[in-house]
Amino acid sequence: MSHPRVDLIAGEARTAIAAARGASELEQARVRYLGRQGALTLLLRSLGTLAAGERPRVGAAANEAKRELEALLEARLAEARARERREARGRQRLDLTLPGRRPPRGSLHPLTLVRDRIVEIFAGLGFSVAEGQEIESDYNNFEALNIPRDHPARDMQDTFYFSEDTLLRTHTSPVQVRVMKAQPPPVRIIVPGRTYRRDVADATHSPVFHQVEGLAVDRNISMGDLKGTLALFAREMFGPGSSIRFRPSFFPFTEPSAEFDVGCFLCHGGGCRFCKQSGWLEIGGSGMVHPQVLKNVGYDPEEVTGWAFGMGIERIALLRYGIDDIRLLLENDLRFLGQFA
Amino acid sequence: MKILYGWVRELVDVTLTPEQAAERLIGAGTEVASVTRLAPAGLRGVVVGEIRAIERDLGESHGHRLLLCRVSTGREELSVVSGAPNTRVGVRAAFAPPGASLPGGRAIGMATIRGAPSQGMLCSERELGLGEEHESGLFELEPDARLGADLVAHLGLEDSVLEIEITPNRPDCLSILGIARELSALTGAPLREPAVALKESNEAAADLARARIDAPDLCARFTARVITNVTVGPSPAWLAVRLRAVGLRPISNVVDVTNYVLWELGHPLHAFDRDTVADHAIVVRRAARGERFTTLDGQERTLTEAMLVIADPRRAIGLAGVMGGANTEVGPRTTRVLLEAAWFDPACIRRTSRALGLRTDAAYRFERGADVEALPVAGARAAQLIADLAGGSVARGLIDVYPAPRPRRRVSLRMSRVRRVLGIAPRVAEAARILGGLGLPVTERGEELEVEVPGFRRDLVIEDDLVEEVIRVWGYDRIPSTVPGGVTGVVSQPRTLRQEAALRQALAGAGLSEIVATSFTDPVTDEALAGDGPLEPLPLLNPLSEDASLMRRHPLAGVLAAIATNARRQQPDVRIFEIGKTYGQHQADIVEPRWLAVAVTGARGPAAWYRAPEAADAYDAKGLAEHALAALGVTATEVATPEPAAAFEPDLHGVLVTPDGRGVVEFGEVSATVRERFGIDAPVFAALVGLDALLDHEPAPSRHQPLPRYPAVARDLAFLIGAGQPVTAAEIESALRAEAGPLLRDLTLFDVYRFPDGRRSLAWRLTFQAEDRTLTDDEVNTIQARVAERATAGFSIALRSR
Ligand SMILES: [Zn+2]
Repeated sequence: MSHPRVDLIAGEARTAIAAARGASELEQARVRYLGRQGALTLLLRSLGTLAAGERPRVGAAANEAKRELEALLEARLAEARARERREARGRQRLDLTLPGRRPPRGSLHPLTLVRDRIVEIFAGLGFSVAEGQEIESDYNNFEALNIPRDHPARDMQDTFYFSEDTLLRTHTSPVQVRVMKAQPPPVRIIVPGRTYRRDVADATHSPVFHQVEGLAVDRNISMGDLKGTLALFAREMFGPGSSIRFRPSFFPFTEPSAEFDVGCFLCHGGGCRFCKQSGWLEIGGSGMVHPQVLKNVGYDPEEVTGWAFGMGIERIALLRYGIDDIRLLLENDLRFLGQFA
Repeated sequence: MKILYGWVRELVDVTLTPEQAAERLIGAGTEVASVTRLAPAGLRGVVVGEIRAIERDLGESHGHRLLLCRVSTGREELSVVSGAPNTRVGVRAAFAPPGASLPGGRAIGMATIRGAPSQGMLCSERELGLGEEHESGLFELEPDARLGADLVAHLGLEDSVLEIEITPNRPDCLSILGIARELSALTGAPLREPAVALKESNEAAADLARARIDAPDLCARFTARVITNVTVGPSPAWLAVRLRAVGLRPISNVVDVTNYVLWELGHPLHAFDRDTVADHAIVVRRAARGERFTTLDGQERTLTEAMLVIADPRRAIGLAGVMGGANTEVGPRTTRVLLEAAWFDPACIRRTSRALGLRTDAAYRFERGADVEALPVAGARAAQLIADLAGGSVARGLIDVYPAPRPRRRVSLRMSRVRRVLGIAPRVAEAARILGGLGLPVTERGEELEVEVPGFRRDLVIEDDLVEEVIRVWGYDRIPSTVPGGVTGVVSQPRTLRQEAALRQALAGAGLSEIVATSFTDPVTDEALAGDGPLEPLPLLNPLSEDASLMRRHPLAGVLAAIATNARRQQPDVRIFEIGKTYGQHQADIVEPRWLAVAVTGARGPAAWYRAPEAADAYDAKGLAEHALAALGVTATEVATPEPAAAFEPDLHGVLVTPDGRGVVEFGEVSATVRERFGIDAPVFAALVGLDALLDHEPAPSRHQPLPRYPAVARDLAFLIGAGQPVTAAEIESALRAEAGPLLRDLTLFDVYRFPDGRRSLAWRLTFQAEDRTLTDDEVNTIQARVAERATAGFSIALRSR
């Protein structure tokens, strides 16, 4: 559909658009033909003055031309803007190899990372977190856990004392006693915390260290459940192929007692210096809560059974990150602290 | 404890190699730290030789006369040069023929010495790797040693030593017999207890000695044997070799036998020279307070009433269960031996041994619990051995004082309990077999076993102890892997942990490194930091060292130590935080409050092309503290002047206060005196947040505010403050806020400038906005003028023209 009057204006407009250099000349062309006083706009506005028979033809042709010109202008305008941006960039080119503006990067301590991971895994298994105090009574740290005074089992944990009855806890186990005394069974807790033993510091010993202790007490809970729980933990913590092993041991507050080892994830059982060529890494101690301990907190050992385990956070951090000296952990050299995620 | 494997195999018929035996023992709970061959590594081909003739003197060399000898190995005769002082015809000694090798891989060949051919080498103890002796010359052997016999075999060195480490509950494993019993239970091989074929004389022991227990609570049983007509002398080689192999020094036949039986049966014995015991009468009694007594090692010791002594009517003659006395020691002139085998209270022995610092093999066993039933056997075994080795005869009868014989404990084991505790159980017959194999008499009653506990297993007290015995032997590998059923409720985390997690996330996100520091400190640093604080110090009774002798009382101790460490290691720019505790006595209580400590020093951030280098200052500490508080939902913007504290510079020390008036953060510049104590040269800025107080300050849940619907209008106001005018930014700001009224949406101090002459310029941006309409310029102009007037007039400061 066309009309000579419309064709005339549209033709002029196309020429002007084609000739325009840059965005501002395109804008001028738009104003001249499509603006409020533009030629095509005026024509559309004057339709009423035309003969009734001509109006539809001219109107249709003019509207069609308007759409065509608008599309054309938009396309040329986009082209022109892109060209102008290119030219502007060319004038002040950025060196994209300069370092970016980075926000400062902080770090969490490896002991925090390991502890949080352990707590997270056990939270997924239904364990709530409990905490206790580091300065403890001799009763909670030893006697309630079936370790009387003048018993050789005390040699297993060299202890810092403040007085005859007050000491730095040698394990997180006193929290077991506090929690069980405070609530009836069932219990399922995980206890992370700082512990102390009077060991001279060397590559593998630190008088200040951290443990995580787990405790489950319920009507029907067995050493098999302990093994299964630790196996799940090992797979989450050390990788899906991890296996665990129990070895008989002795802790006065568990009976039976077991050391638990995890298949060495560094050499996959082939033997390396971390596992002393055995293929197994010693991770912690565990066992069924001794009936006497249950009695000490007012539980009935014929009603409920329970198990407990404990492991050193440092030990796991050393293995996980391949750190060969425990003393690095409390030294806080920034070059060390920045290595863990 | 060192255990000779060949000795074990005399008591149990196992075919395992030493390594295999060690593995089985470890699998059943007895730790074996090492397995070592007795023979020195590399010692091969050395035989028993005899010097048949000395053929020629080859002259002196390094003070030794070199002799050319003819040495026989029984099969051949060889020419050998020897420089040893004990070279003489007829002596049998260790001889390394050509082809033999010595420890360290030294191969023996043919040599020519002073023109004479030497076919091999006569060796000293040191050259054989068997000891340190060298100057005395050849390692001499008994005259009847078989010529040509392999030296390693001849000396009984074809054996291995297992280094055993027991857990405190298993003193029975501190003996050859105990280990043999374990191996018997684990393999099913029969146990052969050492045979005692006692030949008693007609003389009655009761006529030769008497005994009485005056402290039956500390000594349950005292037995003695008397052996007469002994000749004290050196032990035979086989005994000396065994003792040396397990790390004991041979002394004399009588003493060595007591040690031998101690190792073999696990029971400590003591031999007295019977004729030095006054009235030949033994009294077991408590020591008198202050009683002095000289032990076998020649030390005089002062005793207490808590200690037990073996005495005669006149004086103490032994420190019971720990060490004998010098006054009754068996010596070369001893002819009659009184041999003690007794049972002492473990706690008493442990206290005595620790109090005197006297840790002996005997005390180690008694404090873990000896076998009260084994005394007659141990005494008989040792008495007969003494009679055999030192001549003499065993007097008839056992002196046995046992006021209250201890019955054997009976413990029953339900198979249902085994299954309940372990999640699995063997058949009852298997359980019975296992317990029987451990030397425990068992009676089967359907699904229940009744076990009689002999004296050597006093650790077995309750049913679950037997559960452990069963599974220990049956195998921990058989315990299934199951997962506990049941739900115990919602998993919860203490608020402390959630609070700490929020802080860690915020501060690590802000570019700080978390540190973990020791709880210990030294008294001088502690006093410098916390001497004026609220906590009394908590010193350790038994610190490892003076610089870790008490608990830290101040939360800056950790971060300052870390800054010092990094500064020494060329890392002057440090931004760190610690979430930790301090410890101290507060009135009657011991407290361990939790803290957040933030510290920065050096440059604010790493050098970068897009940022000018800037040194950190007190506002970093303040801003980080505010950031941390924001993570906890706590607002504290007001700054108050704190009580002076030694840890901070007096003029650069502030407290952030919450709207309800509680000081929650202390911040500022760390006092130069304190940081210099740590060896830090550069200024350190720090903030401390007491975390416990913020726990009962759980913020109200956030409430949504509708977004503004009308545009905001911003106006800037800058003021000029004369040098020396004390007015603070906070004072001006609160005046601005009060005067601006409810239309003020936001107030930001965006520029601070200090002129060289001391005048200050502070500029604020005030943002106005109404909830119900668009503000007009006139409206805002009026407020702005009022606000400016209030500030300039109120503080006598000038409005800066823009
Ligand atoms: Zn490995």
